[in-house]
This record gives sequence, structure tokens and C-alpha cells, in this order.
Amino acid sequence: MKSPHIVRRLNRRRFLRGAGVILGLPALNLFANKESPPRRMLLISNNLGVLPWHFFPATAGKDYMPSRYLDELAGFRDDFTVISGLSHPAVVGGHSTENCFLTGAKDPTRSGFRNTISLDQFAMEHLGQQTRFATLNLGVNIHKANRSLSWTRDGALLPAEDSPSALFRRMFVQGDRADVQRRKFQLDRRGSILDAVAEDMRRFQRDLDADDRARLDQYFTSVRELEDRMQTARDWSTRPKPETSEHEPEDILDKAKFFEKFELMLRMAQLAFETDSTRIVTLMVDGFATPAFEISADEKSLTGYHNLSHHGQSKRKIEQLERVDHRQMRVLRRLLERLAGHAEGGARLLDRTMVLYGSNMGDANVHNNTNLPILIAGGGLRHGKHLAFNRDHNTPLSNLFVTMLQQFGVEADSFSSSSGNLNQLT
Amino acid sequence: MRSSFFVPGSSLLVRSCLLAFLGSCLIVAAIGDEPGAKPDEISRFVERRCLDCHDDGLAKGDLNLVDLPWTLEDADVRSRWVRIYDRVEAGEMPPQDKARDLPNAERTGFLTTARDVILAADRAEVRTQGRGTPRRLTRTEYEDNLRDLLRLPNLDIADHLPEDRDSHGFTRVSGLLDMSRIQLEAYLNAAEAALRQAIASGTQPPPARDWRFTGMDLFPATTTFGGREAMFFVRNGKWVPNPPKDPREKRRDPTLELALFRSATWPYFGYPQGMRAPRDGAYRVRFSGRAVRQLPGFRIVPAYEPLPMSFRARQPSGPDVSGDVRETGGWMDLQPEAREFETTVTLKKGETFEYSLLGLPVPFIRTDGGFFYDYPPMPPDGHRGAAFQWMEVRGPISPESWPPESHRVLFGDLPIQDGPKGIAIIPGDAREDASRLFRRFAVRAARKPVSEEAQQVYRELIFAKLDEGAPFAEAMLQGYQAFLCSGHFLYLMEPKSNDDFALANQLSHLLWNSRPDEALLALADAGALAQPEALRAEAERMIADGRFSRFVDHFTRQWLDLAELRRDLPDERLYPEYRRDDYLVDSMERETQQFFAAMVRENLPVTALVDSAFTFVNDRLAAHYGLPRVSGSTLRKVELPDWSPYGGLLTQASILKLTANGTTTSPVHRGVWVMEKLLGDPPPPPPKSVPAIEPDIRGATTIREQLAKHTKAKSCAACHARFDPVGFALENFDVMGAWRDRYRGMEKGEKITGIDRAGHPFEYRIGAEVDAGGKLRTGETFADVQELKALLAARPRTLARNLLRQLTLYATGTKVRFSDRSEIERILDSCAKNGYRVRDLMLGLVESRIFKGS
Repeated sequence: MKSPHIVRRLNRRRFLRGAGVILGLPALNLFANKESPPRRMLLISNNLGVLPWHFFPATAGKDYMPSRYLDELAGFRDDFTVISGLSHPAVVGGHSTENCFLTGAKDPTRSGFRNTISLDQFAMEHLGQQTRFATLNLGVNIHKANRSLSWTRDGALLPAEDSPSALFRRMFVQGDRADVQRRKFQLDRRGSILDAVAEDMRRFQRDLDADDRARLDQYFTSVRELEDRMQTARDWSTRPKPETSEHEPEDILDKAKFFEKFELMLRMAQLAFETDSTRIVTLMVDGFATPAFEISADEKSLTGYHNLSHHGQSKRKIEQLERVDHRQMRVLRRLLERLAGHAEGGARLLDRTMVLYGSNMGDANVHNNTNLPILIAGGGLRHGKHLAFNRDHNTPLSNLFVTMLQQFGVEADSFSSSSGNLNQLT
Repeated sequence: MRSSFFVPGSSLLVRSCLLAFLGSCLIVAAIGDEPGAKPDEISRFVERRCLDCHDDGLAKGDLNLVDLPWTLEDADVRSRWVRIYDRVEAGEMPPQDKARDLPNAERTGFLTTARDVILAADRAEVRTQGRGTPRRLTRTEYEDNLRDLLRLPNLDIADHLPEDRDSHGFTRVSGLLDMSRIQLEAYLNAAEAALRQAIASGTQPPPARDWRFTGMDLFPATTTFGGREAMFFVRNGKWVPNPPKDPREKRRDPTLELALFRSATWPYFGYPQGMRAPRDGAYRVRFSGRAVRQLPGFRIVPAYEPLPMSFRARQPSGPDVSGDVRETGGWMDLQPEAREFETTVTLKKGETFEYSLLGLPVPFIRTDGGFFYDYPPMPPDGHRGAAFQWMEVRGPISPESWPPESHRVLFGDLPIQDGPKGIAIIPGDAREDASRLFRRFAVRAARKPVSEEAQQVYRELIFAKLDEGAPFAEAMLQGYQAFLCSGHFLYLMEPKSNDDFALANQLSHLLWNSRPDEALLALADAGALAQPEALRAEAERMIADGRFSRFVDHFTRQWLDLAELRRDLPDERLYPEYRRDDYLVDSMERETQQFFAAMVRENLPVTALVDSAFTFVNDRLAAHYGLPRVSGSTLRKVELPDWSPYGGLLTQASILKLTANGTTTSPVHRGVWVMEKLLGDPPPPPPKSVPAIEPDIRGATTIREQLAKHTKAKSCAACHARFDPVGFALENFDVMGAWRDRYRGMEKGEKITGIDRAGHPFEYRIGAEVDAGGKLRTGETFADVQELKALLAARPRTLARNLLRQLTLYATGTKVRFSDRSEIERILDSCAKNGYRVRDLMLGLVESRIFKGS
């Protein structure tokens, strides 16, 4: 795989050009980011979680005894931290909490609920787009209309990409010159269209009452954001895409091949990081939408994943779930292995990539949304311990997000429902 | 606190005066006692009757009345007080053991006062802000609008748009129809794609191609999965072992027939050899085929019954499907004698279409000694199948006139020429033609008049393009594309008094999922639509129109969760008889759609939701329901015998399937569904202050016993009593809606073994007997589903009220508000005499102030 030298050089040029016009904090942010090596994050949630009693270690601190599941990651003990006693305050309501994993928006089942900005979008808003894709929002078996980890400030869902081949094409397949020209032409054209509709919409709104006007504010936000994106896209469209020695993957359409799909998507995420196509990836593993699936070459789950997660203490189901969870941990291990095995500027890619693995479900069997399973790896944080918080009075998960944001280069001291930070990790 | 009080349409000056005036009223109101302060009657009642449980200490059911503010102008607070009002009115609160000494007068006093103040607050909000907010078009409304506006009935751009979010299945909820940069970009893409399709592809229609397939060209290969039993060539009813591939004439030998005995389910690739659509469009297909039986020795003889078939559009990509697969061409019934059929399939560029024989088995995947597909053993009468003699395809079919209508919507009759990139439009005076064409387009697209001022913005966009030297067509398309992404096209406004255009739009989006036609717009333009007779006549006309099927499809998908019908596959171990039976599932869906369409068009009593003496069946459904045989795939109305447990939407297979999970049925799910969807009494969410109980279902046997265990706790039992009993009555129906007397299981009971329709051996057990009896919360008992139906059918007003509520949300994007309730009751009163008939109810809603907004 080639390193994307060209991309970095052009980034710098963009910065120099931008510095002339942008004053104050944003410029400083950009500056700070250029001087330090790139920081990345990969945010993964499986919306059915894991069996909690095999996940959390019984003892805390540096010398904790690894749990059965964490045994699978034994080789990376110093590269990750397992955290117990975290949850989003007042984010309850069974499966409905899945869309709040990265937002922390409270009480998703109440009438009139509206989601809030997710961690990835928040980070992107603060740092701006430094790469071809500001973020990549991915999914495995995901029900795209209703589920996503990624949400705008307005609480609108940003749909996940679930096709590895489409993602590959977006990242690497260079259109010919005519394509590039056409794309540029289209962007210019769209720029003037957006100007026109925004102007017209202002007039359109004048005759509305305040309530209706407020509803249509989303339209203006959308125009503004899209204009920004297009400006950046216009810049990027003229630059060559990075090269890769990998071939375009074939999509796996069979939802039963859950683990194959999961691994393939993680490989795509890694490819995106290695070529600096993006710095932020979210990945929702939609167990809820996964029908009966292959756990190994010779075992298929008794029922759909969701049904299985409601094991009701059935021995057979629990045993099967254990094998599912173990395999998931091995998938995670392979990810860490690959990230650790890839060098970038003298460092391991893993050391520049925060990998968050967790779930909105503390115990899917009983729809419990407290004591969430949370594991954070890599990213230059200080690892090797089990941080144990109070299991009866949980610490906000967003405290971890604050620390992640800071590590990522965002000057934020709060996010969503945070009450502090977890800077013991830094 | 909201601070807007201006009246829409009034001038700025009047508005600011009004604002000042109302503002001063508000200050006065805040200083005085009324109406801001909590009436004594409410405070006293709460203190004496509620605070025992709902104080800041206990806060039962998560309700702390000490903390609950009395700011009724806040919609959130108001909705909580409405819930309190409803529970007291229903007699559920205070609970019976606490309310023994509650005098009726005290309860009534509380209710009357509460109703008055809540009503006043709700009305005040409606007065200043309207019932709801502008609503963005849904994904399918956007597509249907483009189809009707551009006269492109087969336009398919839904893929460009993100799916809409839903609340309890409804995607038309104003509050959920957000706008985001992703959504806006999707509109840019969709509009661009639609416009490119609308414009003429050349000065002449694209040439149509002709294909004719005979002999071995009828199929892309000489074998298929499942071996010879699944597919072979015959002559005079006898297998032809090695038909010659060369030369061409021999391969195309017209005396050969293609005999096919398997369904089109994966893996499969059964399309005519070499057929690939050169471009998007409709293709006419003529073919000759017959229904046959395969007897031992690969002989074929005429079938006893017709065989239904269809086609599926797909990429010709071998057994692995890439891209989408869509049924096209409709259902046709092959007869025992060879006959000619004609249909039209819609294909995208590069696609072909495969034979889809409905209801046939798929081969069995064998993994013992290798990996191969085995055809199931032969039944006594032989395998059902089809034989094809020849096929002709012609297409793409050109529109009757050229340039096509869609082109003329954009460019009128301006001359066209072949240009370097597609066609060029030759305007007279470019600016003048641009203004004229754009004005016509804008008014049509906006579905209402568009101010000169607004048009100016788009005209300038087009002129700027022209000034840059862009071709005329390019400049126009940019203006059109912009308009199709503007508020004029994307948003539906709430009807307010004297806005016939908003009313026309709300009506057409309700009944057609799309724009009003010219007749309806003409009425709006004349200001004559709000007249009761005119509105009713228009609604009746639209219900009779073909586009009404869009309402039936979308409303049943959203209201009844029909969109979820294919969520779960039946468990192959417990229910081997349903393995890959897509034909059954498709038939179920059609039954419900046709049934509901009949309820409206034939103006049936609302009780048909729970019971009726008829239903719609075809061959497969009749067998599924244990009814006398009928022949062919067309659904037709049949009278149900007295003994049949079917009849009424409640017991249709579609409903029973979508309320089960494919493996087991749950009285909880089915009961909740009935309460929410048919009776309009959804159970409240489980209270947060009650700790989650970890259900232990080890050793529990029937679902009734498991639930008995689960609901031992009083906090659970109170709610489960609302829905479990109704669900129990439906336990006699399995996961696909067929009747059962006993449960099936894998471990206990009488062993049943056999080989399923795909050839797989199965083994399951027949276990405990179903007990479908129960007792409603209101005290009535029933022994089985028939008795339950009778109990529910005795509540026509409840059923009708719920239907009106569901329709209100669908039609207006806003739930029934507190201040709408009296209007709903008024509609019900007016429909009572005739027995609450469904079309009467719909028309009643359309004529109400809820719909008309005045």
C-alpha cells in the first residue's frame, strides 16, 4: 500500500491558503492539527451488546484479572482499557437507545424526542474537513432508515453506508478526466442552485408563523452545510484519489454471514485510515436486524440475533451467545493486530487511532441500558487497566467522549450529558 | 414561552400592532389570576386524590405531581396533563381501591374544569400556530409527485432518497420529516435524474428491438440447480436428452419445449438467452406456455390446475443475484392447454427478466457427500411445473407521440435538433421562452400559484446560465432542478381558512399520495373547493380513480405495519410447509389491500375490521385458510362458511404473520397490536421506576404459563390485563395465520416427521393444546376467537374512533389534538346512524375542520 504523500502536501497548501482568511481559533485548530501527527477514531457499537458477566473483569485497576472475553485480547493488554460503570444518564428505553450511543440524547422513547449531535459530527464540526471524507458512517446489516450512530445537530439521521464495494469506489476509483470535469461542473451548477433556493426560501418563510418558520430553519442549515461540503468537495474533486494495492471487495449480501460482513467493513475502515481518506469512522453493527446467522463454519444461530439476545436464561441460547461474543472479540483482536502492524511515520497506526467498542445495551436480555460494556484501545491513551466506576450510580459515558475529543484535538470540556472527563486515560 | 401572535397574511403593520396588543394582554393575564393560575378545583383534587402516590417521594408511574408545572401553553406539559385527564376519565385513576369514597361530583368537577382549561390552551396554540407545521413530502410522495408532474409513470428515483423515519409505522409525521444536508443533496440528485429522464433522448424515438426465442434459446443453460427434475427440454411430452447446441437452427428448433419445475428463488438464473435491455423502459413480452405435471421418466402431461407465474427483472449475473430483483409483468395463470400471453415488463438498462413460477419448491441443498441441490421427491400426481413453446420481446416501447409528453412538460413545442451531447432545443427568443416555460412549470410543480417575485429568483438563475452561453436546455434544466429542491415543491402547507390550494394538496396527498390533478386545481383556483358538496364530490371522484391504490398501499403499510410483513421467515424446522413460500406471503398482502380498498369503496361498516362474512382469496390462500378450492392466482371475494374462523382484517394471515416472529407467536405482541392499531388504546410504556424483572423462562411450557409467571408482579399484571387476553384469543393461529389446535415444538410431544416441499427431511413435535379463552379487562369472557370477534364487533364506535385517529395522522401529519376531540365525536355522531361505514368516516374527516383547518 502506498502512503498518500500527495494528499498530505495538498492539505498543507490548503491550510496556508486558509490561514490568510480565517482568523482566531479555527485557524489555531488547524495549525495545531498540522503540527501533530494525525489523530483518528473508530467508533463501533453492536446494538445488542455482549453477555455482561463474561465481559467485565471481576477486579479493577492495573492488575485486574482478565475476564473470559478479554482473554481473547490478552496480547494487547497494554493497548486497551476496559471500563465498567458507564452509561448515558436517562438514556433508557430498551432498543430505542441505539441511536443515542454517540449522542447521549435523553429518553428516546418520549413523545417529541429529537436526537442531538453525535460524537463524530461534533468532532468534525470543530476540526473541519481535513480529508477527502469528513467522516465515514458505516453499518453492518443495518436498517438504514431508522438506525445510525451518526446524527446532525438538528437531530436528523445520517444514513450509514453498508456496501463495502461502493465505499471502495468512493475512496479509490479515479474517474477519468471527463468525470472529474463533469463532477466539477455539477458542483458549480449546484452551488448556484443552492444560492437561488436559499434566497427564495427566505421569501417563502416570511409569510409563516414563528413555529412554522422554526421548522423550516432546518432547510437553511442544510443549504449552508451542503454549500460548505460542496466547497470542500470541489477542492478535493481535482486532486487524485490515493492508490491502493487492494482490489475492490465484493459485497456480501447474505445477512447470515454476519461476521464476514463485520470483518470486511472493519478492513474498509482500516483502508480509509491507512490512505488518510478520513479520520473518523463510525460503525453500527446492527444485531437487531440480523436474522439467524453463521457463528462458525458449522454452527448457525438458533434464531435471529435479537431473539437470541433475549435468552431468558435458556442454557442453549446462553452457550450460543458466548460463542458469538467470543468470535466478536476475536474480530476485534484481528482489527487491533492489523492496526498495530501498520506503520505510519514511525508510529503504529493503532497509536494514532482510538478504537471505541461498546453498546447501548448493558444487558440486552432484560433491555437494561446501564453498565454499558465499553472498551477503548489505542490512540495514544494510557491503557492497561480496568477503570471501574460505581455500578449502582454510573458515570456518564460522555465523560469518556470528552477525553476522546481532547485527545482528538478538539478543545472541548463538555459533550452532551458529561459531568467531567476521564483524563486518567491521558 | 412563545411570543408570536401575528396573523398569517396580514400586513406587517397590522401584525406588529396586534403583537403589541396581545403582548399587553399577556402581561395583564400574568398579573391577574386567570387564566394562568391552576384552578382551585384541580389543586384540591390533586392534593386529596393523587398525591398519596404521585408526590416527590413515591412518584408512582414516574409521575410527580408536586413538580409537574401548570404551564399549559407548553405543549409538553399540556400533553402530560392530557394523559392525567384521560386516565381519570377512563376511571383508571385514582385506582379502584383508593377511589371508593370519591364522589362522582368531585370526579366530574375535576374533569370538567381540566377539560376546559386544557382545551382553551390547546385552542390558543392552534389559533396562533395552526394545528401543525409545514410537512416535507415523504420519499414516496416526492417520487409520485415527479411521476405525475413529469408524466413518467415508471420513474424510479426512490433509491436516490434516504428512507423516512417512522413513528409506530407512520412516515408521514410532520415532526419526523426532517431536512438535512444529506436529504437536500439527495433531492438534488433525484431531481436531476428525473429531469434527464423526462427530456427527449433524440429527435426520433429510440429504435425498438425485437427478440424471438424458441428451443434452447428459451433458457440460458441446459441445466439448473436441482438437476434434471428441475428443468429439461421436451418434444411431444418426452424428454430430449441431448438437444444439439449447434447449428443455430437446431438449437432454436421450435418443436422443443422448455419444461421448468422450480421456483425462481435463489440460486437460479432462468432468463431467455441473450436478452438484455439496451436502455431503461417498458418491453412487451408475448409468449406461449402451459401448466404441466412431470411424471416419472421425465414425461410431461397437462396439469390439473392452472399454474400462476410472473417475471422478475434482474441483472443476468448467473445464480448470484447482484443488484435488485423486482417482480414485473403481473401475475398470469398458465392453463393446462398451451395459450398465448402478453404482458409488459419494466427493465433498467442491462437487465433481463427471469421466469418466476409462483408457489413451486426450491431444491434441497445437500451437504452430505459434497454440496449439491437435490430436487424433492415426486408427489403421487407428479411435480407441478410449466412448459414454454416460444417467446417474443419488443422494446423499449416508445411513447405514442414524440417528443414524449414528459419532454413537452419541460419544453412545450419548441423545435428540437440533434446536438453533440443529446438534443438541442431551439428557442425563439431565449429569455422570453425561458420565462414562459418556467412560469408554466413552476405553477404546476408548486401545485398552487407562485408569486412573480419567487419566479424571478429562478429566472435569474436561468438567464445567468444563458448569458454564460450555456445551451438553452441546460439552462432550463438548472432552473427546474432548483425549483424541485425548493420549498414550493418539497413542503405541504397546512390548510387554513380560505386556502383552497392547501386544501386541494392535502386531499390529493391523502388519496393519491401526490399532486392534485387539473380538475381539482381548477376548483381551488375558483375558490369553490371548500364548499361541502364540492369537497365531497372531489373526494368521491378521487376514491374511484386508479391512483387511489396508492392510498391503500401506503396507508395499510403504515397503519397496519404491512411494511413489516416480510420481516421474519417462518422457522424451517417447526414450519417446513412454508419454506420459501413467497407466493403465499404475496397473496396475503394482496388480500389485506383488496379488503381494505373494498371497505372504503363499498362503504362497509367499520366492524369489518374485526369480522366479516367474506374475504378475498386465490388458490393458495383458500388452501391456507382451509376453504373450498378455488383456481388461479386472482384474488376474488368469497363468502366464508359459518365454521370458518376467518373474516375481518383481524384474522387475516398478513396480520397474524406480522405480529409473530416466524418461530413463535406471542399473545403480548398480538394483543398490543390489536389495542394500538384497531382499538386505539395503546398500552403505556412500562414505568421506569419499576425495576426490570429478569424473566426466567426455563422449565416454563406454554406461553400462557410463561406469561402467568411474568405477570405475577402486580405492577406487570395491571398492564398485561389490557392486551394479553386479546392475544390469547389469536393463539389458535400459527406464525403464518393457519389454524392450529396444538402448539408445535422441538422437544416435547408427539413426533411428526416427513420431507418438506423442498425435499428437506423434517422432525418436529405436536405439543400442548391451545387455550384461546380469556377475559377482557371490561369483564366479558370469551372461549375462542369467534366469541372475541363478537365482543369487539359490538364496539363499532371505538373502532371507528380509532380509524379516524389513524387517518387524521396520515392525512395531516399531526396526531389528533385535544381540541380536535369534539370534532372527531361529531364525525362519529354523523356516521352512527348508518353503522359507522368506512367511506362515510373518511369523507366526514375530509369535511371536518381538522382537515380543512378552519
